Amino acid sequence: MNQQIIYFPKDGKPTVVANEWQIWDGEHDEGGIPDLEHGFHKVLVPFHWWITHHKNPDVLDRVSKGEIGIWFAADDDILKHEDLIETGKTLWPVIGAHFPIFRDGRSFSTAALLRDRFEWQGEVRAIGDVLIDQLLQGARVGFDAFELRPDQNLNVALKQFDLFSVTTQNSWRVQRSTQEVN
Amino acid sequence: MYKYDHIDQTLVDQRVIQFRDQVERRLNGTLAEEEFRPLRLQNGLYHQRHAYMLRVAIPYGLLSAKQLRTLAFIADKYDRGYGHFTTRQNIQFNWVELEQTPDILAELAKVEMHAIQTSGNCIRNITSDAFAGVAADEYVDPRPVCELLRQWSTLHPEFAHLPRKFKFAINGAKEDRTVLLCHDVGIELKKNPNINNGELTANIYAGGGMGRTPIFGSLIKQDLPWQVLPSYLTALLRVYNRFGRRDNLYKARIKILVKALGPEEFARQVEGEWVQLHNEEIQSKDNFTQAEWGRVAKHFTKPAYQKLTVVSNEAILATTPEAERAAFARWLERNVKPHQVPGYASVILSLKPHGKVAPGDATSAQMNAIADLADQYSFGELRVTHEQNLVLADVEQSKLQELWQAAKQQHVAIPNIGLLTDIIACPGGDFCSLANAKSLPIAKAIQERFDDLDYLFDLGDISLNISGCINSCGHHHVGNIGVLGVDKDGEEWYQITLGGDQGNDASIGKVIGPSFYANEIPDVMTSIINTFVQHRAADEPFIDAYRRLGVAPFKEAAYKNNGKHSKESGKGAIV
Repeated sequence: MNQQIIYFPKDGKPTVVANEWQIWDGEHDEGGIPDLEHGFHKVLVPFHWWITHHKNPDVLDRVSKGEIGIWFAADDDILKHEDLIETGKTLWPVIGAHFPIFRDGRSFSTAALLRDRFEWQGEVRAIGDVLIDQLLQGARVGFDAFELRPDQNLNVALKQFDLFSVTTQNSWRVQRSTQEVN
Repeated sequence: MYKYDHIDQTLVDQRVIQFRDQVERRLNGTLAEEEFRPLRLQNGLYHQRHAYMLRVAIPYGLLSAKQLRTLAFIADKYDRGYGHFTTRQNIQFNWVELEQTPDILAELAKVEMHAIQTSGNCIRNITSDAFAGVAADEYVDPRPVCELLRQWSTLHPEFAHLPRKFKFAINGAKEDRTVLLCHDVGIELKKNPNINNGELTANIYAGGGMGRTPIFGSLIKQDLPWQVLPSYLTALLRVYNRFGRRDNLYKARIKILVKALGPEEFARQVEGEWVQLHNEEIQSKDNFTQAEWGRVAKHFTKPAYQKLTVVSNEAILATTPEAERAAFARWLERNVKPHQVPGYASVILSLKPHGKVAPGDATSAQMNAIADLADQYSFGELRVTHEQNLVLADVEQSKLQELWQAAKQQHVAIPNIGLLTDIIACPGGDFCSLANAKSLPIAKAIQERFDDLDYLFDLGDISLNISGCINSCGHHHVGNIGVLGVDKDGEEWYQITLGGDQGNDASIGKVIGPSFYANEIPDVMTSIINTFVQHRAADEPFIDAYRRLGVAPFKEAAYKNNGKHSKESGKGAIV
């Protein structure tokens, strides 16, 4: 995992901040969340695990402390779980969306649905095989946090967001420039 | 024609900066080739068999003389002095250096051009009717919608990494000249006084495509108001992005999804997504506004046509010296098309000289000369056709003779438009790393075999399409005669399909049987054509005869003296 993430709030500037969230793959559980690595108290659990464990008292306790968020796999059909996500809006500080490989764009649509359909206001974090050259697209569809693959250069990454001063379609951040012209 | 405003210009300039940085990172090793690949593809840069190939977008096929001169300049400075016009209205340069591509893109940006999304798993350059705005059978000029959607799709963030490439075609004429149903999405534009108050509407066809599973798109939405195209297409692409197969490259196109779900279920899912997008107030901002239409459409007004009277072909011919009259008459018949405005015509410049160059190739000298012709005879504009020819769309009929003389000087006046030798062909194994077999020598051999113009004229309309592999860039499935290069145990073979057609009666050709060696193909063509000649009713076009007769007589003839399929008898490549 990456010790740092890029955080780019909707109306703010992109910055590098410490990563507080460990991602857990949901494997090797014996009914509960495993011990976390030293220094981490917060964990993103897989959504499929959440579906079956969200009523567990231990989980409820951790959620109430703001220590549990969820992450969607690229092939999770989030529209099939509208009720759970609606409830989750009051529970999870962060939702992750996973890129199994950088050229798999499904999580772009997941982020767009979270923002458009669910009007999710909290953090949406890109996790997995996240590379420098996906950041701009991610930022525009609804991601506001990026845990890059650890080999990526964060300084180069930070420069990506300033590359374009115009856009030709609406995004989560801005309306298209072409709409403003007569 | 469309002129960039500061937004378009800023975007392509900044794109050059972005790509320059990506190339630098690739060259200094901080960006791995595997990770650079989708980035360069989204900038039209392929790594081919011998070199890098750059595919430059010519949105909906429209080009200015100035832009064509820049393409000629690029061909000279960065390539080997020629370019290749493709079936999707792009131009390709086959011999570029990676290090120089940012400079080429910068040159393109100076003339309002780019290579954005000409490749890669994203929304590709949008194609349309090469005769848009001038065709006599047009009911809607599709170009403002093409341009609005070009902008909408350019660097669209949500659809930057789709399961596979995604191709749009847009048509607004009675006759379909876009192979609409063979696209991932075909948009058919209409204006009907009884629908949407006579405003522009669109019928949406989804899930068409060629490749290894040729299938026509299905009508999934009727009478969609043009304003809501962005939200509807967002919904459509979102369904595809989420549920298109990613486990198998060959099953990842939208046609497989539409087929698996069934068009009705696919349409229902899109509708469900669209209703959400459409109903939310914030999302209604996605829809195109009248102001945006105005901003774009003002560039597609008619040029300064003169008030002319219609001239008959007989009258035009009468002005031609008798010795040249027959040849000129042929050109008028095949290469000149009717126009919306009295006294004007559209002229097709053939890039298919018999046996001399690859179909669709033009040298830099030709490009410069053709740019001059465009300035002189057609308001400084031209178009690229799906058949890999060029069009001067607005020529005064009284100047046709003069233009013909000039076109002859450039070897682009051969009157073979729509005839057997107007071959559509992909670059094939000579260039393309995907190809199983060569295409260009096959095209050359057929053009040489059928070099008699009188005979070609007698044969009438026949489309012949050649693809070097199952990806079907030569669109062999919709050729009346299709040739497909296949690999068998490391050897190049050619499979023949018959009965394909583009246009309003589009059909997908059927394989006639086992494949042939390269050097058998000219004889096989002769056998097929002889069978047609033997059985045709007076002036019956090939496709009609085929539909009447069925495949049997053609198949029998093709295999009678050919197709022995033994290495001893048939083997041999055409060089």
